Amino acid sequence: MPNKHNILVVEDELELAKSTLSFLSENGFLPFHAKDLKAARKLLKQEKFTAVLLDLGLPDGDGMSLIKEIKNFKEEIGLIIISAKDALEKKVQGLELGADDYLTKPFFFSELNARLKSLIRRLNLEVNQELVCNEITLFPEQMKVLVHAKELELTAKEFGLLLYFVSNQNRVLSKTNLGEFMSSTYVDYGFTDDMVYTHIKNLKKKLAESNSKDYIKNVYGVGYKFTVA
Amino acid sequence: MKLLTKTSLNFISASVIFFLVGSIVMYFSVRNIVAEDLQNRLLEQKNEFFNQVTKDKLEDLESEVVFIQESQKELVHSFSDTVLIVNKKYMLYRKLQFSYLHNKQHYKVSILQLQSQSDKLFKKIVIMNVGFAMLFFLIVFFVNRQSIKNSLKVFYSTINKLEDFQVNKAQELTLDTAEVDEVKKLNVVFERMSEQIRNDFEAQKEYTENVAHELQTPLAIISSKADELMQADNLTKQQMEQLALLLETTNRLSKINQSLIFLTKIDNRFYTEGTTFLLNELIKEKLVLFETAIEDKNLKIALDLKDETHIYMDPYLAETLVVNLLKNAIVHNEKGGDLSVKLANKCLIIANSGSALTFSEADIFKRFSRSEYSKKSLGIGLSIVKRICELYGFNIEYRFQENHIFAIKF
Repeated sequence: MPNKHNILVVEDELELAKSTLSFLSENGFLPFHAKDLKAARKLLKQEKFTAVLLDLGLPDGDGMSLIKEIKNFKEEIGLIIISAKDALEKKVQGLELGADDYLTKPFFFSELNARLKSLIRRLNLEVNQELVCNEITLFPEQMKVLVHAKELELTAKEFGLLLYFVSNQNRVLSKTNLGEFMSSTYVDYGFTDDMVYTHIKNLKKKLAESNSKDYIKNVYGVGYKFTVA
Repeated sequence: MKLLTKTSLNFISASVIFFLVGSIVMYFSVRNIVAEDLQNRLLEQKNEFFNQVTKDKLEDLESEVVFIQESQKELVHSFSDTVLIVNKKYMLYRKLQFSYLHNKQHYKVSILQLQSQSDKLFKKIVIMNVGFAMLFFLIVFFVNRQSIKNSLKVFYSTINKLEDFQVNKAQELTLDTAEVDEVKKLNVVFERMSEQIRNDFEAQKEYTENVAHELQTPLAIISSKADELMQADNLTKQQMEQLALLLETTNRLSKINQSLIFLTKIDNRFYTEGTTFLLNELIKEKLVLFETAIEDKNLKIALDLKDETHIYMDPYLAETLVVNLLKNAIVHNEKGGDLSVKLANKCLIIANSGSALTFSEADIFKRFSRSEYSKKSLGIGLSIVKRICELYGFNIEYRFQENHIFAIKF
């Protein structure tokens, strides 16, 4: 297991920060919290961070101003904006300033987790670019899956679902959660929550055909869980 | 009607009336004066006649214009018009007739004065007067027109600037300084008003953003806590279902909130930048994103996008317009139904099969109007479409003829 990644969470809403922090530590990260820009600047000087989760509306100013500072300070720090503002121009502005990703509140932790992991992979910090889960090996960059070292043909959406599951093992992912993830990732306007069933059914079938264990369990008909013992 | 035209027309109509009345009055008064003058001259000649008749013989007083005839009785002193033929020409004379008693014999004396000379004088006076009056009116008219034009120059510039004024643009409204007090006052009022409007607009924009932030953050907390609760191992099926519903509802609430914020932004004319692009391409591009749904519902698609249609719009709004219309036509479609998209003569027609509305056709673009069969839809998509059309002055219509038909005229 490589060293834990330090993550700075800049969020003024304490309850949300608390949940985010506990989620991050449960998922193998080492989170730090800053409630405003001042605290964030101080922590950035003291610690080495892999990534920053930045809320835009902060009590002592707009988080936008911090983006440039962080990127000037240390370019390889990953930066995900988490904002209540779904405004396109904010998104564009943030990404232009150097942010790596943009997440709109409310968001699912599993989505944050997947994005954070993908960001860390992209930042080239993991030696191994592939994701291994027992007999399943995923290569996110090439969109390739090996089951028992044999390549498995999946559609883009099935691959996306599998990657999402593997990134969020042992976690109940509700139908709403999966639907949101699919429609936002694949910009598919017609993707309703009901279609999640169809896609997961197909994915499970393909995995079973290549003799993979049945990891994806239905949870009382409200969601799914990728269960790894 | 332009202010200048209006004042000019008023001036002209008043002038014409005064001019006509004045001319008639002048015509008659000048004619009277000239006639009186003629009569006075005749009366002078009559006095002359009486002065000379004592010294001279009666016959010697006769001339081309004085006729003396014997008469039976005494005549009353009278004026009349008479015509003489002089050199084969008819000449109009004014005649004064009176009686003169000489050696117990009554004589009728007629003194004549040529009228044509007085007529010429009369004509000259009338022409000169009318001419001067007309000249005067013309000068006054143009001077007046020019002076109004000059005094209103700032006023017109104010109108132009107000026309160009856009509340969401960065530049403030600065109007020219006027000489005329009323225009000066008007400009001050306008500047103050525009300042107020801009402040309100800014405040509203800020408010919209704050509402977004304030509502989305608590929603994020609810959603994250519910999601965390869901991860507990010892939940019953019922508890799990309730948590899933909580998540779904929170997600829906957040979407409604975002859509309302978007609607407010359109209302606030937040999106005013635009580019010209090909609508055909945009529709094709967006249709691809509905592939899953189209396959899922097994829809029969009929596309007619041959007519190249360029439109000028904000790209984001154009995208929203197309996506919302397509989404509506797909989501409210039935399994194995039809979807047709036609672009011709600057008109986009989207038709889809589906059961008739359970509410009035007139309410289709109203917020939160949705059919009983689609409780899951937010009921905002079409009102966003309507608002975007209104923003750009496009005409959008809906009718139900076996199919649901939406037509936009660009």
